[in-house]
Amino acid sequence: MVEDILSIKAIAEEEIKGANDLKAIQSLRVKYLGKKGVLTDKIKSLGSVPKEIRPEYGKTLNETKNHIESILNQKESFFKASELESGLKANRIDVTVPGNFIPAGHKHPISRVLDEIVDVFSSLGFVIEEGPEIELDYYNFEALNIPRDHPARDMQDTFYITDDVVLRTHTSPVQVRVMQKNKPPLRVIAPGKVYRCDADVTHTPMFHQIEGFMVDEHISMGDLKGALELFLHAIFGEDTGVRFRPSFFPFTEPSAEVDIACVMCGGTGCRLCKGSGWIEILGCGMINPKVFEMVGYDPEKYTGFAFGMGIERITMLKYGIDDLRLFFENDKRFLEQF
Amino acid sequence: MKASINWLKEFVDFSAKPIEIANALTMAGLEVEGVEEVDGDTILEVNITPNRADCLSIIGVAREIAASLSLPFKKSKIPVIKEEFGAPEIEIKAPELCRRYASRIIRGVKIAPSPEWLSKRLEAHAIRSINNVVDATNYVLLEMGQPLHAFDLNNLTGHGIVVDKAGSIDKFFTLDNEERALETDTLMIWDKEKPVAVAGVMGGLNTEVTLSTSDILLESAYFNPPSVRRASKALNLSTESSYRFERGVDINAVVTALERAVDLILQTAGGKAGKLTDIHPKPLALRQISVGLSKINKIIGVSLKDSEVQDILTRLGFDNKKTGDTFVVIPPSFREDIQQDIDIIEEIARLYGYDKIPVTFPKVRLTPVKVNTHRNLIKITKDFLRRSGYSEVINYSFLNPSVFDKLRLSPDDKRRNTIKIKNPLRKEENSVRTTLIPALLGNIGLNINHGEKSLRFFELSKVFLPSKEKLPEEPLHLGAVCLKDSRMPSSIWEGKHECFYDLKGALENLMAELKVKDYSFVDTDSCEPYLHPGKSCTIKVNNEVIGSLGVLHPAAAEALELTGDIALFELNLSSLFLHILPKITYKSLPKYPYVERDISIVVSKDINAADIENAIARIDSNLIEGITLFDIYTGSPIPKDKKSLAFSIRFRAEDRTLTDAEVDVLHSKMVSLLESSFKAELRS
Repeated sequence: MVEDILSIKAIAEEEIKGANDLKAIQSLRVKYLGKKGVLTDKIKSLGSVPKEIRPEYGKTLNETKNHIESILNQKESFFKASELESGLKANRIDVTVPGNFIPAGHKHPISRVLDEIVDVFSSLGFVIEEGPEIELDYYNFEALNIPRDHPARDMQDTFYITDDVVLRTHTSPVQVRVMQKNKPPLRVIAPGKVYRCDADVTHTPMFHQIEGFMVDEHISMGDLKGALELFLHAIFGEDTGVRFRPSFFPFTEPSAEVDIACVMCGGTGCRLCKGSGWIEILGCGMINPKVFEMVGYDPEKYTGFAFGMGIERITMLKYGIDDLRLFFENDKRFLEQF
Repeated sequence: MKASINWLKEFVDFSAKPIEIANALTMAGLEVEGVEEVDGDTILEVNITPNRADCLSIIGVAREIAASLSLPFKKSKIPVIKEEFGAPEIEIKAPELCRRYASRIIRGVKIAPSPEWLSKRLEAHAIRSINNVVDATNYVLLEMGQPLHAFDLNNLTGHGIVVDKAGSIDKFFTLDNEERALETDTLMIWDKEKPVAVAGVMGGLNTEVTLSTSDILLESAYFNPPSVRRASKALNLSTESSYRFERGVDINAVVTALERAVDLILQTAGGKAGKLTDIHPKPLALRQISVGLSKINKIIGVSLKDSEVQDILTRLGFDNKKTGDTFVVIPPSFREDIQQDIDIIEEIARLYGYDKIPVTFPKVRLTPVKVNTHRNLIKITKDFLRRSGYSEVINYSFLNPSVFDKLRLSPDDKRRNTIKIKNPLRKEENSVRTTLIPALLGNIGLNINHGEKSLRFFELSKVFLPSKEKLPEEPLHLGAVCLKDSRMPSSIWEGKHECFYDLKGALENLMAELKVKDYSFVDTDSCEPYLHPGKSCTIKVNNEVIGSLGVLHPAAAEALELTGDIALFELNLSSLFLHILPKITYKSLPKYPYVERDISIVVSKDINAADIENAIARIDSNLIEGITLFDIYTGSPIPKDKKSLAFSIRFRAEDRTLTDAEVDVLHSKMVSLLESSFKAELRS
């Protein structure tokens, strides 16, 4: 009797093993476990089995039923999963088509460099200030120790609105405006547009400058060198050579021009640096006591440094741009490179 | 300024190579911009800053070489002139403008070409050789920095000189045969009758030294620098002479230079010299300046010793004495630029060598840093527009007002009232801009010409508006422009909608990021003359109009020679920034679920979706949480003059779960409102 069950089990196992799809499994389930299934029949007729073998017989029958059910389930879920998978595979998209995004616009190279410079000084605790682009002659010149009829005015060709009002020729007037309103200590940078009545291969009538200054009780020229070297190394790289040489600006004294080692030849001399190995990058100096007097600071108590630089020039050096006019033509092919 | 190495060697002995001299001068503040070998000599091109008038001469540069290399400077000997007759009669009537005037007459000169050594030297320094007399004056100008002038004595009425302003004389022929208009204050050199030179600028044609000249009067003077500068500017005439006078010559070298020139003329043109006249009413008192050693060291950031400072001062030819901590310094007469202690400190730093000053870092007191919110808002604005696909452009602030006609601005449009530049580079571009639109459209034009079909640009810049104050208003404006070819989208994802919506979307997205409160786009028929009347709107924030947005008017496009679907906006960003939510306040999350209903209606094409949304919202502002337009459809089977709009409406109550019955009531209210107010038909 028990042998009958075991042989049913063996046949069922064989048949399940040979089933190739979900349908075959389902009909095997009906065949063995359905209402009129082989094993169901056996369970129904358990009562007619002789009493003495019934326990063993019943146990074997039950185990067999569970076993068959379990391998049927196993096989069925295998077929279900693979059917889902093949269905998904048929429902495909072209993953090589570009994604849906709005191509980002571009940052103007001048803004790019300007922000970079502002970030360096902001990290050193410099505050950003602004001033008007159309400025009083007083702030643009007089208060910066550039009187009328002084040859220093020739250093900057000026656009005049009236005799007293000009398009600012530099960002330095912001120095005076900020100092008039605030007491030291001060650490300020002032970026913005400036204007000069000049247009050729190396000059555009409008360009960008950043002015910076610091005023406190013990600021020295050594500090000026330190702050600017730190800045130039941040912008042009740690190994960039920097040199300070004497120059003249009416609003600083002592005044200096700062050169960096030529970005093209590294200092050996080339066309870009006209053979000198150096490239002029910014003007700076210790704030002239006359400027302090103009804003009511005690020049015996306070010292400070100031510097100013042209952004276009730095941008050209950084990116190897060879034509100044490109900055204001706004050619898409140019803008897209930044 | 050009300076010959051979000439310099006459005043300072050096063995260094020209390139080393160039480097030494550069590092001392006289930047050498060129080194050129000419004819067995080397010519340096030296950039002299406006404060160093004393270096506008060979001896000036030689003094710098001597000082920076610690070499002795060889002073030239003043030649002794044999005086064979009387002195010229000189009168200074404007002593405030002429502090010194020295002169000698030379009779019997023979005007001829200069000897070769002289003419060659002048030409190497970019001065044309004229004749032996004029060349001698120019030679001394180059060598000593003192401009001189030779008059033909026989054309000077009364054989004397008067220094006085032009007064009523308003026209004068200068040497270059130009008739020049004079200002009443211009200082002139006169004979007893007529003006014969513009003092310090240029001589007159009437007394020019010519081949027939036999007797000359030689002038060496000190003219007031601002006065010469004003004259030079007024005449628009800058000469070697005016350039030096306006920067200041050495008043104590006026006679030395005269003697040097007389001697040179006697050698090269012959003749006999008369006695000297030297009018010098108020001789210069040399300045005495005190500067403390501790201040020197504090400002430069070094620790120099007395002897080091003294060595530098002595090399510069500055008299100095030390008492206590203080140096008492007397700079020589040619260093008019040395006025206060800081000037002396600069000289010490310069000759000590900037490269030797040790690098230090400022010690700072900790102070709170004020956050520049304005700058942050600008940064957000720029970043957001870039993320929406717009590239930043930067245009000149100049404007040609003729563009206003092309933009069809009315004659009384405020923007036509521009601030004018007195001296523009190009006559047509005589204004600073009041609007960003012309330049942005110009950028589109340039790029269309390069074959571009899809462009998105923005600019953020100040514009300039006249005000009652001395200075104009400078509000910050934001402008943007979008060009696209809707038949040929630039990517597969780009919709075929009009570029108006591209631009509006970018702006709305920005408004949301900036947290602008109460903004709206208001449909008006004619917000800007350069915009398409059916495709434009004004931008309002808190009921204030801050700009407008729309499609470029075809007539404006034609005038500007632009083609394609172009949308643009300009707004006053300064005004917009005033309406930004000061802070974000959290609202607790809803406790009850929402119910969503869609409604699809057909209305006339003239009806704006926003009006429908507003009407729906007003039905019950407590229960209607949101309205989203999710479809617009025109075309079959919708009649031609109509469109279909589909909205999704979300209902929610704060205090309970809404029942279907409640929502049904609201929905049918909505339907009947839309039917009555907008003649809407429900689409099934």
